[in-house]
Amino acid sequence: MSTKSTREAAMLAIQEAARKDDKIVIVSPDAVAAARATKFREEFPDRVIEVGIAEQDAVDIAAGLASTGMKPVVVTYAGFLTMRACEMIRTFVAYPGLNVKFIGLNGGMLGGEREGVTHQFYEDVGILRSMPGVKVLCPADAQQAKEAASAMLEQEGPVYLRLGSGREPEVFPEGTPFTYGKLRVVKSYGHDVAVFASGFVMDRAIQALEELKEQGINATLADVSTLKPLDEEGVAKLLTACGRAVTVEDHNIYGGLGSAVCEAACRLAPCKVLRLGLQDVYPRSGKAAELLDAYGLSVQDIVNTAKEAMK
Amino acid sequence: MTADELSRIANRLRLDVVETVHDAGDGHPGPCMSIADIMAVLYFEEMKLDPQNPRWPERDRFILSKGHACPILYAALARRGYFPLEELKGLRSLGSFLQGHPDSKKIPGVDTVSGSLGNGVAIGTGMAMGCRMQGIDNYVYVIVGDGEEEEGIIWEAAMAAAKFKLGNLIVFADLNNHQSGGRVTDLSSLYPVPDKWAAFHWHVQSIDGHDIPAIQNAIAEAKKVTDRPSIICCKTLKGKNIPYMEDNNAWHKRVPTDEEVEIARQALKDKL
Repeated sequence: MSTKSTREAAMLAIQEAARKDDKIVIVSPDAVAAARATKFREEFPDRVIEVGIAEQDAVDIAAGLASTGMKPVVVTYAGFLTMRACEMIRTFVAYPGLNVKFIGLNGGMLGGEREGVTHQFYEDVGILRSMPGVKVLCPADAQQAKEAASAMLEQEGPVYLRLGSGREPEVFPEGTPFTYGKLRVVKSYGHDVAVFASGFVMDRAIQALEELKEQGINATLADVSTLKPLDEEGVAKLLTACGRAVTVEDHNIYGGLGSAVCEAACRLAPCKVLRLGLQDVYPRSGKAAELLDAYGLSVQDIVNTAKEAMK
Repeated sequence: MTADELSRIANRLRLDVVETVHDAGDGHPGPCMSIADIMAVLYFEEMKLDPQNPRWPERDRFILSKGHACPILYAALARRGYFPLEELKGLRSLGSFLQGHPDSKKIPGVDTVSGSLGNGVAIGTGMAMGCRMQGIDNYVYVIVGDGEEEEGIIWEAAMAAAKFKLGNLIVFADLNNHQSGGRVTDLSSLYPVPDKWAAFHWHVQSIDGHDIPAIQNAIAEAKKVTDRPSIICCKTLKGKNIPYMEDNNAWHKRVPTDEEVEIARQALKDKL
Protein backbone atom coordinates (compact mmCIF):
# COMPACT_ATOMS: atom_id res chain seq x y z
CA MET A 1 0.00 0.00 0.00
CA SER A 2 1.35 3.43 -0.90
CA THR A 3 1.94 6.03 1.74
CA LYS A 4 1.42 9.77 1.85
CA SER A 5 2.36 12.29 4.50
CA THR A 6 -0.38 13.48 6.83
CA ARG A 7 1.99 16.25 7.90
CA GLU A 8 2.34 17.67 4.40
CA ALA A 9 -1.33 17.29 3.66
CA ALA A 10 -2.47 19.10 6.77
CA MET A 11 0.05 21.89 6.31
CA LEU A 12 -1.15 22.39 2.74
CA ALA A 13 -4.63 23.09 4.11
CA ILE A 14 -3.23 25.54 6.68
CA GLN A 15 -1.26 27.33 3.97
CA GLU A 16 -4.30 27.57 1.70
CA ALA A 17 -6.38 28.98 4.56
CA ALA A 18 -3.63 31.44 5.44
CA ARG A 19 -3.91 33.01 1.99
CA LYS A 20 -7.46 34.00 2.79
CA ASP A 21 -7.00 34.88 6.46
CA ASP A 22 -4.03 36.99 7.53
CA LYS A 23 -4.69 36.27 11.21
CA ILE A 24 -3.48 32.68 10.82
CA VAL A 25 0.09 32.25 12.10
CA ILE A 26 2.18 29.25 12.99
CA VAL A 27 3.87 29.03 16.37
CA SER A 28 6.80 26.63 16.30
CA PRO A 29 9.01 25.30 19.06
CA ASP A 30 11.64 24.33 16.47
CA ALA A 31 9.15 22.25 14.53
CA VAL A 32 8.86 24.00 11.17
CA ALA A 33 10.68 21.22 9.34
CA ALA A 34 8.97 18.47 11.32
CA ALA A 35 5.55 19.94 10.59
CA ARG A 36 6.48 20.35 6.92
CA ALA A 37 5.90 24.08 7.25
CA THR A 38 8.95 25.25 5.31
CA LYS A 39 6.81 26.14 2.29
CA PHE A 40 4.44 28.03 4.56
CA ARG A 41 7.44 29.93 5.90
CA GLU A 42 8.67 30.71 2.40
CA GLU A 43 5.30 32.17 1.49
CA PHE A 44 4.63 33.86 4.86
CA PRO A 45 8.00 34.52 6.51
CA ASP A 46 6.50 36.92 9.04
CA ARG A 47 3.78 34.52 10.04
CA VAL A 48 5.92 31.75 11.46
CA ILE A 49 6.73 32.52 15.07
CA GLU A 50 9.74 30.41 15.88
CA VAL A 51 10.33 30.35 19.64
CA GLY A 52 13.05 27.72 19.82
CA ILE A 53 12.77 24.43 21.68
CA ALA A 54 10.27 25.69 24.23
CA GLU A 55 6.85 24.08 24.00
CA GLN A 56 5.37 25.67 27.10
CA ASP A 57 6.40 29.07 25.87
CA ALA A 58 4.93 28.30 22.44
CA VAL A 59 1.51 27.51 23.90
CA ASP A 60 1.46 30.55 26.20
CA ILE A 61 2.58 32.80 23.35
CA ALA A 62 -0.22 31.34 21.25
CA ALA A 63 -2.66 32.12 24.06
CA GLY A 64 -1.43 35.71 24.13
CA LEU A 65 -1.68 36.00 20.36
CA ALA A 66 -5.19 34.57 20.32
CA SER A 67 -6.30 36.97 23.04
CA THR A 68 -5.56 39.81 20.61
CA GLY A 69 -7.53 38.21 17.78
CA MET A 70 -4.79 36.30 15.98
CA LYS A 71 -5.37 32.65 15.02
CA PRO A 72 -2.25 30.73 16.01
CA VAL A 73 -1.59 27.12 15.06
CA VAL A 74 0.93 25.50 17.39
CA VAL A 75 2.81 22.68 15.68
CA THR A 76 5.11 20.13 17.28
CA TYR A 77 5.38 16.55 18.45
CA ALA A 78 2.23 15.30 20.11
CA GLY A 79 3.80 14.44 23.45
CA PHE A 80 5.90 17.55 23.86
CA LEU A 81 2.74 19.50 23.17
CA THR A 82 0.20 17.61 25.24
CA MET A 83 2.46 16.52 28.08
CA ARG A 84 5.16 19.15 28.51
CA ALA A 85 2.78 22.00 27.75
CA CYS A 86 -0.28 20.24 29.15
CA GLU A 87 -1.09 22.83 31.80
CA MET A 88 -0.63 25.72 29.39
CA ILE A 89 -3.12 24.16 26.99
CA ARG A 90 -5.59 23.54 29.77
CA THR A 91 -5.38 26.71 31.82
CA PHE A 92 -4.45 29.41 29.34
CA VAL A 93 -6.12 28.18 26.15
CA ALA A 94 -8.88 25.68 26.90
CA TYR A 95 -10.33 27.35 29.98
CA PRO A 96 -10.72 30.81 28.42
CA GLY A 97 -11.71 29.11 25.13
CA LEU A 98 -9.10 30.90 23.05
CA ASN A 99 -8.89 30.29 19.35
CA VAL A 100 -5.66 28.28 19.31
CA LYS A 101 -5.21 25.23 17.09
CA PHE A 102 -2.80 22.42 17.89
CA ILE A 103 -1.14 19.98 15.53
CA GLY A 104 0.47 17.02 17.28
CA LEU A 105 2.99 14.99 15.28
CA ASN A 106 4.04 11.39 15.85
CA GLY A 107 0.68 10.43 17.23
CA GLY A 108 0.77 6.78 18.33
CA MET A 109 3.66 4.33 18.34
CA LEU A 110 3.43 4.15 14.57
CA GLY A 111 4.11 7.87 14.46
CA GLY A 112 7.27 7.57 16.49
CA GLU A 113 8.20 4.10 15.24
CA ARG A 114 12.00 3.86 15.28
CA GLU A 115 12.48 6.82 17.64
CA GLY A 116 11.41 4.82 20.68
CA VAL A 117 9.34 5.72 23.72
CA THR A 118 10.55 9.33 24.00
CA HIS A 119 9.03 10.14 20.61
CA GLN A 120 6.02 7.81 20.51
CA PHE A 121 2.87 9.26 21.99
CA TYR A 122 -0.18 7.23 22.88
CA GLU A 123 -1.58 9.29 25.74
CA ASP A 124 -2.28 12.55 23.88
CA VAL A 125 -5.92 11.85 23.09
CA GLY A 126 -6.67 10.77 26.65
CA ILE A 127 -5.03 13.86 28.07
CA LEU A 128 -6.89 16.24 25.81
CA ARG A 129 -10.22 14.46 25.96
CA SER A 130 -10.19 15.08 29.69
CA MET A 131 -9.97 18.85 29.20
CA PRO A 132 -13.30 20.65 28.89
CA GLY A 133 -13.60 22.61 25.68
CA VAL A 134 -10.92 20.89 23.59
CA LYS A 135 -11.94 19.18 20.37
CA VAL A 136 -9.87 16.22 19.18
CA LEU A 137 -9.50 15.12 15.56
CA CYS A 138 -7.75 11.96 14.47
CA PRO A 139 -7.83 11.52 10.69
CA ALA A 140 -7.04 8.18 9.06
CA ASP A 141 -4.72 9.20 6.22
CA ALA A 142 -3.25 12.14 4.33
CA GLN A 143 -6.38 12.88 2.33
CA GLN A 144 -8.39 12.98 5.54
CA ALA A 145 -5.70 14.96 7.36
CA LYS A 146 -5.99 17.77 4.84
CA GLU A 147 -9.76 17.84 5.19
CA ALA A 148 -9.46 17.63 8.95
CA ALA A 149 -7.06 20.59 9.04
CA SER A 150 -9.57 22.67 7.09
CA ALA A 151 -12.37 21.54 9.39
CA MET A 152 -10.23 22.44 12.40
CA LEU A 153 -9.76 26.01 11.20
CA GLU A 154 -13.50 26.40 10.77
CA GLN A 155 -14.10 25.61 14.43
CA GLU A 156 -13.97 28.33 17.07
CA GLY A 157 -11.79 27.61 20.08
CA PRO A 158 -9.13 25.01 20.76
CA VAL A 159 -8.87 21.99 18.48
CA TYR A 160 -6.19 19.29 18.44
CA LEU A 161 -5.30 17.53 15.21
CA ARG A 162 -3.39 14.29 15.59
CA LEU A 163 -0.91 13.52 12.83
CA GLY A 164 1.67 10.82 12.28
CA SER A 165 5.18 10.31 11.07
CA GLY A 166 4.59 11.38 7.51
CA ARG A 167 4.48 7.83 6.12
CA GLU A 168 0.85 6.92 6.54
CA PRO A 169 -0.87 4.33 4.34
CA GLU A 170 -3.22 5.90 1.81
CA VAL A 171 -6.67 4.58 2.59
CA PHE A 172 -9.33 6.83 1.17
CA PRO A 173 -9.69 8.25 -2.35
CA GLU A 174 -9.58 11.97 -3.08
CA GLY A 175 -12.90 13.60 -2.41
CA THR A 176 -13.74 11.44 0.61
CA PRO A 177 -15.50 13.83 2.98
CA PHE A 178 -14.16 14.50 6.47
CA THR A 179 -17.29 14.32 8.55
CA TYR A 180 -16.52 16.59 11.49
CA GLY A 181 -18.38 15.46 14.61
CA LYS A 182 -19.84 12.38 12.92
CA LEU A 183 -18.49 8.91 12.48
CA ARG A 184 -18.46 7.62 8.92
CA VAL A 185 -19.28 4.05 7.96
CA VAL A 186 -16.42 2.91 5.75
CA LYS A 187 -17.72 -0.54 4.90
CA SER A 188 -20.76 -2.46 5.96
CA TYR A 189 -21.07 -6.14 5.18
CA GLY A 190 -23.53 -6.77 7.95
CA HIS A 191 -24.15 -6.40 11.65
CA ASP A 192 -22.37 -9.40 13.13
CA VAL A 193 -19.91 -7.10 14.85
CA ALA A 194 -19.07 -3.38 14.78
CA VAL A 195 -15.48 -2.25 14.30
CA PHE A 196 -14.67 1.30 15.31
CA ALA A 197 -11.27 2.52 14.13
CA SER A 198 -9.46 5.82 14.35
CA GLY A 199 -6.23 7.10 12.84
CA PHE A 200 -3.49 5.47 10.82
CA VAL A 201 -4.48 1.90 11.58
CA MET A 202 -7.52 2.24 9.33
CA ASP A 203 -5.89 0.16 6.57
CA ARG A 204 -5.56 -2.73 8.99
CA ALA A 205 -9.17 -2.45 10.07
CA ILE A 206 -10.27 -2.51 6.43
CA GLN A 207 -8.17 -5.61 5.76
CA ALA A 208 -9.59 -7.26 8.86
CA LEU A 209 -13.12 -6.57 7.65
CA GLU A 210 -12.37 -8.36 4.38
CA GLU A 211 -10.76 -11.26 6.21
CA LEU A 212 -13.76 -11.59 8.48
CA LYS A 213 -16.07 -11.59 5.48
CA GLU A 214 -14.08 -14.42 3.94
CA GLN A 215 -14.65 -16.32 7.16
CA GLY A 216 -18.36 -15.67 6.96
CA ILE A 217 -18.49 -12.87 9.51
CA ASN A 218 -20.15 -9.74 8.19
CA ALA A 219 -18.96 -6.68 10.05
CA THR A 220 -19.43 -2.93 9.80
CA LEU A 221 -16.43 -0.60 10.03
CA ALA A 222 -16.77 3.01 11.18
CA ASP A 223 -14.07 5.68 10.97
CA VAL A 224 -14.26 7.75 14.13
CA SER A 225 -12.17 10.73 13.11
CA THR A 226 -13.66 13.15 15.62
CA LEU A 227 -12.84 11.74 19.04
CA LYS A 228 -14.26 14.75 20.84
CA PRO A 229 -17.04 15.63 20.58
CA LEU A 230 -17.78 11.96 19.97
CA ASP A 231 -20.72 11.09 17.76
CA GLU A 232 -22.41 9.22 20.60
CA GLU A 233 -25.65 8.75 18.71
CA GLY A 234 -23.80 7.30 15.74
CA VAL A 235 -21.84 4.96 18.00
CA ALA A 236 -25.00 3.87 19.81
CA LYS A 237 -26.80 3.21 16.54
CA LEU A 238 -24.09 0.82 15.39
CA LEU A 239 -23.81 -0.82 18.78
CA THR A 240 -27.54 -1.39 18.87
CA ALA A 241 -27.46 -2.90 15.42
CA CYS A 242 -24.46 -5.17 16.07
CA GLY A 243 -24.69 -5.87 19.80
CA ARG A 244 -20.90 -6.19 20.10
CA ALA A 245 -17.89 -4.20 19.04
CA VAL A 246 -14.13 -3.90 18.68
CA THR A 247 -12.21 -0.64 18.82
CA VAL A 248 -8.90 -0.21 16.98
CA GLU A 249 -6.53 2.65 17.66
CA ASP A 250 -2.83 3.45 17.92
CA HIS A 251 -3.17 4.82 21.45
CA ASN A 252 -3.19 3.38 24.91
CA ILE A 253 -6.47 1.57 25.59
CA TYR A 254 -7.16 4.14 28.30
CA GLY A 255 -8.43 7.55 27.28
CA GLY A 256 -8.72 7.22 23.53
CA LEU A 257 -11.24 5.78 21.09
CA GLY A 258 -11.82 2.60 23.11
CA SER A 259 -12.66 4.54 26.23
CA ALA A 260 -14.85 6.98 24.34
CA VAL A 261 -16.86 4.21 22.69
CA CYS A 262 -17.28 2.42 26.03
CA GLU A 263 -18.48 5.63 27.67
CA ALA A 264 -21.09 6.05 24.96
CA ALA A 265 -22.00 2.36 25.15
CA CYS A 266 -22.60 2.51 28.89
CA ARG A 267 -25.00 5.39 28.54
CA LEU A 268 -26.82 4.55 25.33
CA ALA A 269 -26.32 0.93 24.22
CA PRO A 270 -24.62 -1.34 26.77
CA CYS A 271 -22.89 -4.29 25.10
CA LYS A 272 -19.58 -6.09 24.88
CA VAL A 273 -16.78 -3.84 23.59
CA LEU A 274 -13.22 -5.14 23.23
CA ARG A 275 -10.46 -2.57 22.89
CA LEU A 276 -7.43 -2.99 20.67
CA GLY A 277 -4.57 -0.59 21.12
CA LEU A 278 -1.55 -0.47 23.37
CA GLN A 279 -2.50 -2.65 26.32
CA ASP A 280 -1.20 -0.18 28.91
CA VAL A 281 2.45 -0.89 28.12
CA TYR A 282 5.33 1.14 26.69
CA PRO A 283 6.48 -0.16 23.32
CA ARG A 284 9.96 0.18 21.77
CA SER A 285 11.80 1.17 18.59
CA GLY A 286 11.10 -0.71 15.40
CA LYS A 287 9.72 -0.51 11.89
CA ALA A 288 6.17 0.82 11.91
CA ALA A 289 4.43 -2.25 10.53
CA GLU A 290 6.45 -4.62 12.69
CA LEU A 291 5.71 -2.57 15.78
CA LEU A 292 1.97 -2.60 15.21
CA ASP A 293 2.09 -6.36 14.70
CA ALA A 294 4.24 -6.84 17.80
CA TYR A 295 1.96 -4.82 20.03
CA GLY A 296 -1.36 -6.37 19.17
CA LEU A 297 -2.54 -4.35 16.21
CA SER A 298 -2.04 -6.84 13.38
CA VAL A 299 -4.87 -7.63 10.99
CA GLN A 300 -5.04 -11.07 12.59
CA ASP A 301 -5.37 -9.48 16.04
CA ILE A 302 -8.35 -7.46 14.83
CA VAL A 303 -9.92 -10.54 13.25
CA ASN A 304 -9.39 -12.66 16.37
CA THR A 305 -10.71 -9.94 18.66
CA ALA A 306 -13.82 -9.51 16.54
CA LYS A 307 -14.46 -13.24 16.84
CA GLU A 308 -13.82 -13.06 20.56
CA ALA A 309 -16.40 -10.29 20.82
CA MET A 310 -18.94 -12.56 19.16
CA LYS A 311 -18.54 -15.36 21.68
CA MET B 1 -1.69 63.21 38.89
CA THR B 2 0.95 64.09 41.50
CA ALA B 3 3.17 61.51 43.13
CA ASP B 4 1.47 62.24 46.44
CA GLU B 5 -1.96 61.59 44.97
CA LEU B 6 -0.79 58.31 43.43
CA SER B 7 0.81 57.29 46.71
CA ARG B 8 -2.51 57.89 48.47
CA ILE B 9 -4.30 55.80 45.85
CA ALA B 10 -1.79 53.02 46.47
CA ASN B 11 -2.60 53.11 50.17
CA ARG B 12 -6.32 53.19 49.43
CA LEU B 13 -5.82 50.01 47.40
CA ARG B 14 -3.85 48.48 50.28
CA LEU B 15 -6.69 49.16 52.67
CA ASP B 16 -9.18 47.80 50.14
CA VAL B 17 -7.15 44.57 50.13
CA VAL B 18 -7.17 44.27 53.92
CA GLU B 19 -10.93 44.84 54.01
CA THR B 20 -11.60 42.54 51.05
CA VAL B 21 -9.65 39.61 52.46
CA HIS B 22 -11.24 40.19 55.86
CA ASP B 23 -14.77 40.31 54.44
CA ALA B 24 -14.22 37.38 52.08
CA GLY B 25 -12.49 35.31 54.75
CA ASP B 26 -9.79 34.17 52.33
CA GLY B 27 -7.00 35.48 50.12
CA HIS B 28 -3.38 36.60 49.93
CA PRO B 29 -2.97 40.11 51.39
CA GLY B 30 0.81 40.31 51.89
CA PRO B 31 1.80 39.92 48.23
CA CYS B 32 -0.57 42.76 47.27
CA MET B 33 1.16 45.36 49.39
CA SER B 34 4.51 45.21 47.65
CA ILE B 35 2.99 46.04 44.26
CA ALA B 36 0.47 48.68 45.38
CA ASP B 37 2.54 51.62 44.18
CA ILE B 38 3.17 50.04 40.77
CA MET B 39 -0.54 49.26 40.45
CA ALA B 40 -1.47 52.86 41.31
CA VAL B 41 0.84 54.26 38.64
CA LEU B 42 -0.32 51.78 36.02
CA TYR B 43 -4.07 51.92 36.62
CA PHE B 44 -4.47 55.57 37.62
CA GLU B 45 -1.99 57.24 35.31
CA GLU B 46 -0.13 55.18 32.79
CA MET B 47 -2.37 52.66 31.10
CA LYS B 48 -4.61 53.40 28.16
CA LEU B 49 -7.93 51.88 29.25
CA ASP B 50 -11.66 52.28 28.84
CA PRO B 51 -13.56 50.82 31.79
CA GLN B 52 -16.79 51.22 29.82
CA ASN B 53 -15.35 49.05 27.06
CA PRO B 54 -13.08 46.51 28.76
CA ARG B 55 -12.33 44.68 25.48
CA TRP B 56 -11.37 47.82 23.55
CA PRO B 57 -8.81 46.39 21.11
CA GLU B 58 -6.47 49.40 21.30
CA ARG B 59 -6.14 49.25 25.08
CA ASP B 60 -2.94 48.56 26.96
CA ARG B 61 -2.84 45.05 28.39
CA PHE B 62 -2.03 44.08 31.96
CA ILE B 63 -1.00 40.68 33.31
CA LEU B 64 -0.66 39.99 37.01
CA SER B 65 1.58 36.98 36.62
CA LYS B 66 1.78 36.60 40.40
CA GLY B 67 -1.98 36.13 40.26
CA HIS B 68 -2.45 35.34 43.94
CA ALA B 69 -2.10 39.10 44.51
CA CYS B 70 -5.40 39.58 42.70
CA PRO B 71 -7.22 41.36 45.55
CA ILE B 72 -5.27 44.50 44.67
CA LEU B 73 -5.99 44.07 40.96
CA TYR B 74 -9.69 43.74 41.74
CA ALA B 75 -9.54 46.80 43.99
CA ALA B 76 -7.87 48.81 41.20
CA LEU B 77 -10.45 47.66 38.66
CA ALA B 78 -13.32 48.50 41.01
CA ARG B 79 -11.93 51.94 41.73
CA ARG B 80 -11.42 52.55 38.00
CA GLY B 81 -15.11 51.76 37.49
CA TYR B 82 -15.05 48.29 35.94
CA PHE B 83 -17.49 47.06 38.60
CA PRO B 84 -18.93 48.32 41.90
CA LEU B 85 -16.70 48.34 44.99
CA GLU B 86 -19.27 46.27 46.90
CA GLU B 87 -18.40 43.33 44.67
CA LEU B 88 -14.97 43.04 46.33
CA LYS B 89 -16.36 41.33 49.40
CA GLY B 90 -17.55 38.46 47.18
CA LEU B 91 -13.94 37.47 46.46
CA ARG B 92 -13.55 33.68 46.20
CA SER B 93 -17.20 32.97 46.94
CA LEU B 94 -19.50 30.91 44.75
CA GLY B 95 -21.93 33.64 43.78
CA SER B 96 -19.24 36.15 42.83
CA PHE B 97 -17.39 36.65 39.56
CA LEU B 98 -14.23 37.52 41.52
CA GLN B 99 -12.30 34.28 41.26
CA GLY B 100 -9.49 33.21 43.56
CA HIS B 101 -7.03 34.07 40.81
CA PRO B 102 -7.34 36.48 37.87
CA ASP B 103 -9.80 35.23 35.29
CA SER B 104 -10.36 36.87 31.94
CA LYS B 105 -13.39 34.73 31.31
CA LYS B 106 -15.36 36.03 34.27
CA ILE B 107 -13.95 39.40 35.31
CA PRO B 108 -14.27 42.60 33.25
CA GLY B 109 -10.92 44.31 32.81
CA VAL B 110 -8.83 41.17 33.31
CA ASP B 111 -6.86 40.37 30.16
CA THR B 112 -5.79 36.79 30.87
CA VAL B 113 -6.09 33.91 33.27
CA SER B 114 -3.10 34.00 35.60
CA GLY B 115 -1.80 32.69 38.86
CA SER B 116 -0.28 29.43 37.79
CA LEU B 117 3.12 30.92 38.36
CA GLY B 118 5.63 31.77 35.66
CA ASN B 119 3.28 32.13 32.71
CA GLY B 120 2.72 35.87 32.59
CA VAL B 121 5.79 36.86 30.60
CA ALA B 122 5.13 34.24 27.93
CA ILE B 123 1.48 35.22 27.56
CA GLY B 124 2.52 38.88 27.53
CA THR B 125 5.01 38.07 24.79
CA GLY B 126 2.20 36.64 22.68
CA MET B 127 -0.02 39.64 23.39
CA ALA B 128 2.72 42.11 22.53
CA MET B 129 3.42 40.24 19.31
CA GLY B 130 -0.27 39.99 18.39
CA CYS B 131 -0.84 43.70 18.98
CA ARG B 132 2.22 44.62 16.96
CA MET B 133 1.23 42.35 14.06
CA GLN B 134 -2.14 44.08 13.91
CA GLY B 135 -0.67 47.57 14.06
CA ILE B 136 -2.04 48.33 17.53
CA ASP B 137 0.03 51.05 19.18
CA ASN B 138 0.01 50.02 22.81
CA TYR B 139 1.96 48.45 25.66
CA VAL B 140 1.68 45.16 27.47
CA TYR B 141 2.53 45.40 31.17
CA VAL B 142 3.32 42.37 33.30
CA ILE B 143 4.06 42.09 37.02
CA VAL B 144 6.05 39.01 37.99
CA GLY B 145 7.03 38.01 41.49
CA ASP B 146 10.59 37.10 42.32
CA GLY B 147 9.75 33.60 43.53
CA GLU B 148 7.98 32.73 40.29
CA GLU B 149 11.11 33.53 38.34
CA GLU B 150 12.28 30.13 39.53
CA GLU B 151 9.95 28.70 36.87
CA GLY B 152 11.73 27.67 33.68
CA ILE B 153 9.10 29.13 31.38
CA ILE B 154 10.01 32.62 32.58
CA TRP B 155 13.36 32.21 30.86
CA GLU B 156 11.88 30.60 27.77
CA ALA B 157 9.75 33.72 27.45
CA ALA B 158 12.70 36.00 28.20
CA MET B 159 14.49 34.46 25.21
CA ALA B 160 11.53 34.78 22.86
CA ALA B 161 10.56 38.34 23.80
CA ALA B 162 14.14 39.51 23.24
CA LYS B 163 14.37 37.64 19.94
CA PHE B 164 11.25 39.37 18.68
CA LYS B 165 12.50 42.78 19.91
CA LEU B 166 9.27 43.51 21.73
CA GLY B 167 9.71 47.14 22.74
CA ASN B 168 5.99 47.19 23.61
CA LEU B 169 6.47 44.72 26.48
CA ILE B 170 7.27 46.16 29.91
CA VAL B 171 7.68 43.80 32.85
CA PHE B 172 7.93 44.73 36.53
CA ALA B 173 9.75 42.29 38.80
CA ASP B 174 8.41 42.58 42.35
CA LEU B 175 11.54 41.76 44.34
CA ASN B 176 10.21 41.40 47.89
CA ASN B 177 12.43 38.38 48.57
CA HIS B 178 9.56 36.27 49.83
CA GLN B 179 7.67 33.37 48.36
CA SER B 180 5.16 30.95 49.82
CA GLY B 181 7.76 28.80 51.52
CA GLY B 182 10.13 31.48 52.78
CA ARG B 183 12.90 33.76 51.53
CA VAL B 184 13.61 33.54 47.81
CA THR B 185 17.31 33.75 48.62
CA ASP B 186 16.99 30.69 50.87
CA LEU B 187 14.93 28.61 48.47
CA SER B 188 16.83 29.25 45.26
CA SER B 189 19.86 30.86 43.66
CA LEU B 190 17.73 33.29 41.65
CA TYR B 191 19.32 36.47 43.00
CA PRO B 192 20.73 38.75 41.69
CA VAL B 193 17.75 39.17 39.37
CA PRO B 194 18.68 42.09 37.07
CA ASP B 195 21.84 40.40 35.77
CA LYS B 196 19.84 37.46 34.50
CA TRP B 197 17.45 39.56 32.46
CA ALA B 198 20.40 41.56 31.11
CA ALA B 199 21.99 38.29 30.02
CA PHE B 200 18.81 37.59 28.05
CA HIS B 201 19.24 40.93 26.23
CA TRP B 202 16.49 42.82 28.00
CA HIS B 203 16.61 46.51 28.83
CA VAL B 204 17.01 46.45 32.60
CA GLN B 205 16.38 49.10 35.24
CA SER B 206 16.51 48.77 39.01
CA ILE B 207 14.43 51.00 41.25
CA ASP B 208 12.74 51.31 44.63
CA GLY B 209 9.30 49.85 43.91
CA HIS B 210 7.65 52.15 46.41
CA ASP B 211 9.08 55.37 44.94
CA ILE B 212 6.32 56.71 42.71
CA PRO B 213 8.45 59.15 40.67
CA ALA B 214 11.01 56.38 40.17
CA ILE B 215 8.28 54.09 38.81
CA GLN B 216 7.03 56.83 36.50
CA ASN B 217 10.54 57.60 35.24
CA ALA B 218 11.34 53.95 34.71
CA ILE B 219 8.23 53.50 32.54
CA ALA B 220 9.19 56.59 30.54
CA GLU B 221 12.69 55.19 30.03
CA ALA B 222 11.34 51.79 29.07
CA LYS B 223 9.13 53.37 26.43
CA LYS B 224 12.17 54.98 24.80
CA VAL B 225 13.57 51.53 24.13
CA THR B 226 11.83 50.24 21.03
CA ASP B 227 13.99 47.31 20.02
CA ARG B 228 14.04 45.32 23.26
CA PRO B 229 11.58 44.33 25.96
CA SER B 230 12.09 46.08 29.29
CA ILE B 231 12.19 44.86 32.82
CA ILE B 232 11.96 47.17 35.78
CA CYS B 233 13.40 45.40 38.80
CA CYS B 234 11.62 46.81 41.84
CA LYS B 235 13.04 46.40 45.32
CA THR B 236 9.92 46.10 47.45
CA LEU B 237 8.67 45.20 50.91
CA LYS B 238 6.12 42.43 51.26
CA GLY B 239 3.26 43.75 53.40
CA LYS B 240 4.38 47.36 52.84
CA ASN B 241 2.57 49.99 54.98
CA ILE B 242 0.50 47.50 56.99
CA PRO B 243 2.52 47.41 60.22
CA TYR B 244 1.97 43.79 61.20
CA MET B 245 2.42 42.54 57.63
CA GLU B 246 5.68 44.26 56.69
CA ASP B 247 8.34 41.73 55.73
CA ASN B 248 6.31 39.08 57.58
CA ASN B 249 5.69 36.08 55.37
CA ALA B 250 2.97 34.78 57.68
CA TRP B 251 0.78 37.23 55.76
CA HIS B 252 1.41 35.57 52.42
CA LYS B 253 -2.04 34.05 52.87
CA ARG B 254 -3.92 34.96 56.00
CA VAL B 255 -7.15 36.65 56.96
CA PRO B 256 -6.97 39.76 59.16
CA THR B 257 -9.16 39.89 62.28
CA ASP B 258 -11.55 42.78 62.98
CA GLU B 259 -8.88 44.26 65.22
CA GLU B 260 -6.17 43.90 62.59
CA VAL B 261 -8.38 45.65 60.03
CA GLU B 262 -8.74 48.51 62.49
CA ILE B 263 -4.98 48.68 63.01
CA ALA B 264 -4.53 48.93 59.25
CA ARG B 265 -7.13 51.71 59.02
CA GLN B 266 -5.37 53.65 61.75
CA ALA B 267 -1.95 53.13 60.18
CA LEU B 268 -3.15 54.45 56.82
CA LYS B 269 -5.68 57.06 57.88
CA ASP B 270 -3.42 60.03 57.20
CA LYS B 271 -2.04 58.49 54.03
CA LEU B 272 -5.23 58.01 52.05
